[in-house]
Amino acid sequence: MASFDIQMTVNGRPVKQSVSPHLRLLDFLREELHWTGSKEGCGAGECGSCSVFVDGVLMKSCLMPVAKAQHSEIETIEGLEEQGKLNVLQQAFQKTGASQCGYCIPGMMMAATAALRANPYAGREEIKERLGGNICRCTGYQKMFEATELARDVMNGKLTIELLKEEKEEGPFIGSNSFRIDTSSKVTGALKYAGDMVMPQMLHMQVLRSPYPHAEILELDTSEAEAMAGVEAVVTHRDVQGIDGFGVFTDDQPVLARGKVRYVGDAIAAVAAEDVLTAKEALKKIKVRYRELVAITKTEDAIKTGAVIIHDDVPDNIVMHIPIRKGNVDKGMAEADFVIEETYYTQPVEHAYLEPEAGLAYLDADGTLVIQSPSQNITHHRQKLAKILDMPVNRVRMIMSPVGGGFGGKEDMHYQGILALAVLKSRRPVRYVFTREESIIASAKRHPFSIKYQLGLNREGLIQASKIHMLADAGAYNCSTEGVMRKAAILAAGPYAIENLMVDAIGVYTNNTPSGAMRSFGAMQSQFATECHLDLCAEKLEMDPVELRRKNFFKEGDETHTRQELGSVSMLEVFNSALDLADWETGISNSRGATRSDLAQSGNRPPCTLGARQFPLETIPTGQAA
Amino acid sequence: MLYYDQYHVPETLDEAFDLIHTNGGNYKVLAGATDLLPWAREGRGGDVNYESVIDISKINDLSKWQLQGNRINLGANVTISQLLNNPFLRKHIPVMAKSAVWFADDQIREQATLGGNLVNASPAADATPPMLAMNAELTLERKQKGKIIQRKLPLDEFLTGPGKTRLEAGELVTRVECDSMLGYGSAFEKVGHRRSLVLSTVCLAALVSLSDDGQEFEDVRLALGGVGPVPIRLKESEACLISQPIDSDLIDKSAVLAVKHVQSRTRQEYRREVVYNFVKRGILGACKDLNTTFADIDTDMKHRGNYG
Ligand SMILES: Cc1cc2nc3c(=O)[nH]c(=O)nc-3n(C[C@H](O)[C@H](O)[C@H](O)COP(=O)(O)OP(=O)(O)OC[C@H]3O[C@@H](n4cnc5c(N)ncnc54)[C@H](O)[C@@H]3O)c2cc1C
Ligand code: FES
Ligand code: FES
Repeated sequence: MASFDIQMTVNGRPVKQSVSPHLRLLDFLREELHWTGSKEGCGAGECGSCSVFVDGVLMKSCLMPVAKAQHSEIETIEGLEEQGKLNVLQQAFQKTGASQCGYCIPGMMMAATAALRANPYAGREEIKERLGGNICRCTGYQKMFEATELARDVMNGKLTIELLKEEKEEGPFIGSNSFRIDTSSKVTGALKYAGDMVMPQMLHMQVLRSPYPHAEILELDTSEAEAMAGVEAVVTHRDVQGIDGFGVFTDDQPVLARGKVRYVGDAIAAVAAEDVLTAKEALKKIKVRYRELVAITKTEDAIKTGAVIIHDDVPDNIVMHIPIRKGNVDKGMAEADFVIEETYYTQPVEHAYLEPEAGLAYLDADGTLVIQSPSQNITHHRQKLAKILDMPVNRVRMIMSPVGGGFGGKEDMHYQGILALAVLKSRRPVRYVFTREESIIASAKRHPFSIKYQLGLNREGLIQASKIHMLADAGAYNCSTEGVMRKAAILAAGPYAIENLMVDAIGVYTNNTPSGAMRSFGAMQSQFATECHLDLCAEKLEMDPVELRRKNFFKEGDETHTRQELGSVSMLEVFNSALDLADWETGISNSRGATRSDLAQSGNRPPCTLGARQFPLETIPTGQAA
Repeated sequence: MLYYDQYHVPETLDEAFDLIHTNGGNYKVLAGATDLLPWAREGRGGDVNYESVIDISKINDLSKWQLQGNRINLGANVTISQLLNNPFLRKHIPVMAKSAVWFADDQIREQATLGGNLVNASPAADATPPMLAMNAELTLERKQKGKIIQRKLPLDEFLTGPGKTRLEAGELVTRVECDSMLGYGSAFEKVGHRRSLVLSTVCLAALVSLSDDGQEFEDVRLALGGVGPVPIRLKESEACLISQPIDSDLIDKSAVLAVKHVQSRTRQEYRREVVYNFVKRGILGACKDLNTTFADIDTDMKHRGNYG
């Protein structure tokens, strides 16, 4: 392949190198110069984790062919420090706790730098505008705005530099300001996430994934790929020496497809090669012959009699059924003045942690297999891997690399096993970095639920009986479904005292993307249904929705739905303070409509439709003749 | 990913055409790269291989603009950021700046070009409705047997469908010419899922000039994007206002006439509601831009079903 001579200045130092012309500026910085502070969150201009200055202008380096940056001056996060010390903005980010997982921080700090360079007196709205191209999945942005304002005021001499220091206080930690111990490594870009790590002799892995939701694999021929120069290992299920299968609750997922694929994105084979491009080329040479099977894409079809079986050992396709029974629901419903029914649906949700999955695995000199990855479950993975690889557990070592956001999505061992096989076969370090697209296709999502809700109430609004039937889509593999069903069931009926209760949470296999852990672990789905349903009931009863809830809250001494006695219950106090802060206007919700006084209060946020807001930044001159 | 063996950066049009010639069919033209690179990814174009990429962004002539009579002549490489920030352009074609401020983000606006936006032919391209409203015409050039062949096409004829244009092999869009809008008031409306980095679900450009006494519409130009295969001029909605008094019923009628153009594949009902209100708000906004106040005009936005 042709090469391209590139010359530029990076953080003040001249750089001259001959590179593949197709590299993007981001690839050049990260892979050639090993300035890995700039991150690749999306590779498509959407997230800003790659933002750098090009000749003083902030740009997304994933959208820039390196040749475009010929002869330019590049500034990255690594160039921000002044004489080896954090600059004011870096200190401000540290002070306000603006960095959580840290993955967005390099780009975010560059955008904040750009904002203050463009206008050293920028106000909150302008700062928001200037940071608009950068996504953070952890913080909710407020701390970044605060940090930028703080830096602005310190730089303008309005606030003293002392304010950037940690406020170590005697006594309790709650309410006092202390720094996260890893912030300085995040605001400098020094922290190495798995995708930033390199080792001598390192290979790059790519994975062949299923284009079908459900198919039998009739033939899997890797010989042509294996024969390619630059390819050091091709692995399939045939390389598994021990007992194949992993999962958070049951080991129903093979490291690489074994005889069949169960969802679009199911991993079939992997190639470890000298570079990513060679690995990709080799994937094209792997021959797979499929026989398509009927795919189940709807939960209700999975439990029909005669439905296609997705896992041979689970003939009814039911991953987990958690029932809760209390009192006599039929009697409670019969005695209620109103019985209100509705069905609620929730959708699958992608975690979209800003750091796509990545891992680096290698053999230590003594033969210990080491895997570094942003895993939320390392001890568990270690046990599973030892079993799969048929290695003693003390020969398998998992190191948790910094997690660039997880939210539950990094609990599953979706790729660490594949890395292990590639290392054992090639005897070389192997790195695997997901693209954003791969992360969306291959890893588990939040469970979509359909929830049939039936609530019986008396005229005063007291709940007499509750019947909740939840059907959840586990997708192709169990992952965390078992636990998610448990939590969904336990919390389903909400924090309300209910005598007669019947809850069923049923997770079923389908040929959709697997569902797994995500923030709240099933509680969000059932709570969504419960709270929507109570609003609906309040409308029917012509009662203030707040009042309806107050009437039914658990009180001290009550038993929860799973028979736990409650010693102290502070929920009424919490609820009342929240209502005060929200300027809640008492009344029946469907009688107030658009005239509610609790909307558009000072301090409330304006609606965020675009055209309705004033034209931001300076106003545009009208077309009047000058 | 976009893979290629050669990256060429011509500095003149002539050089660019020579490169197009020597590379036969196996090349790709690139300006800002903000459509091309995200396109060459899994799920869209996938991995794509070209022998050569020809980066036209350093052709200086294509980054210039000038006033010719009452038309503005812009090079294809003018960036969205220049449309937003340049005082001359803000004076003559302010509706472009109003569109540009909602375009992607600060960073992408620096790279993204006007030419790229038009050639990419997205149904939701933000530069297209304002350009349609300003009667834009493109200059297309190619080189054949050593001779430059130039043709001109109105923008609405150039765009033929989502991602489809009348651009021919070997041809470049070199210039975009449009009316100077001195004397007009303007508005740009856009709605999407969030503030930044968002493609338009619906967008609308409105341009209005009034009679000397400020009581009548002299000219009205409306163009709509995001609701069908290509952005369009709303000729009927315009016609029912031109030379008419500023009147609530007429504005309502004009807005109602626009609703039928919603032909999107998704969310039609929502888009109809938005279109009605955008036309109304766009017209009123453009009037307000001319410092016209109208005490007795109905400015309320309407909900689904309460119009037309
Ligand atoms: C995160 C993100 C957000 C975005 N937000 C918006 C938005 O809000 N509104 C919007 O409208 N767009 C948006 N876009 C799309 C894109 O930025 C614009 O369409 C941009 O104007 C494209 O211009 P470019 O110069 O980058 O095109 P390129 O990617 O360089 O080129 C696009 C296409 O046009 C061709 N081409 C370019 N110039 C010429 C020419 N002079 N002659 C012939 N062919 C040519 C190229 O060959 C290519 O096929 C967004 C893109 C991203 C990544
Ligand atoms: S914007 Fe460049 S990696 Fe996301
Ligand atoms: S701290 Fe911003 S993405 Fe995690």
